[in-house]
Amino acid sequence: MRASSARPIALVALGAALLLIGSWWGLAKAPGEVFMGDVQRIMYVHVPTAWNAMLALTFAFVCAVCFLFTNAWKWDNRLEAAMEMGVVLSLLLCMQGSIWAKPTWGVWWDWDPRLTTTAVMVFAFGGILALRAFVDDPVKRAVWSSVACIVAFVDVPIVYFSVKWWNSLHQAQSTPQTVSSAFHWPLRINAFGILFLWIGLVGLRAQVAAHRRRGEMAPPLPEKRPATSRAQVTGGAA
Amino acid sequence: MSGVIEGGWEYVVAAYAVTAVVLGAYATSVFLRLRSEKARGNTEASS
Repeated sequence: MRASSARPIALVALGAALLLIGSWWGLAKAPGEVFMGDVQRIMYVHVPTAWNAMLALTFAFVCAVCFLFTNAWKWDNRLEAAMEMGVVLSLLLCMQGSIWAKPTWGVWWDWDPRLTTTAVMVFAFGGILALRAFVDDPVKRAVWSSVACIVAFVDVPIVYFSVKWWNSLHQAQSTPQTVSSAFHWPLRINAFGILFLWIGLVGLRAQVAAHRRRGEMAPPLPEKRPATSRAQVTGGAA
Repeated sequence: MSGVIEGGWEYVVAAYAVTAVVLGAYATSVFLRLRSEKARGNTEASS
């Protein structure tokens, strides 16, 4: 059965709308932070991007495990889509973080544990996507990238806990207890906005992967023959 | 020195602009790839 694009497109539209509302709230309505002032408004896109990057890569991990257990192609399609989305969100996360780091830390980048483990995450999953592009056999590609995804996923909890395990320049995780209640709504709206956006995009990107694989695995088209009558084709049974 | 960051709107605008550009570009690329794959599938099915 071929998947419909209507539901993922609706999710993308809903996500984009929420992201616009949350961003407007964060930029125009929410108060500035006591020490960081207006620069703290970057948090409303940076923190939801971080949560969703890790969530997308966790979904990729789940897809990899499900593919290895079931051998169902839908999991390989979702794995490819979720890894690509996770890499895009992680790259975006690094760019936003770098922009935030300059006015607060005085540098664009620092080899601090959180930033270093995030860079490792980007390169590991980006490398798996590159590996997929070089493997022609769909079965080998699916199995290898599932195994590689499971190995690379080890870095995701390390990224999350790095600020607790090591002395980091980066602040600890943002939770309702560590963030003022005035900042909750734009943060939550943007978090759900990016969540719906990536779920919709992963749904559409998985369809791209399914179309491509169908093309790869389809038998070659027969050469064109001279037109024959229906009676000949059906063996004269009609 | 108060320890409070003054201004910095240019960084805020840059962060939101980067977010819009990256997510917008990726969404566009997914829609274009899906359209192209569907068109290719239809061509193969009709040939």
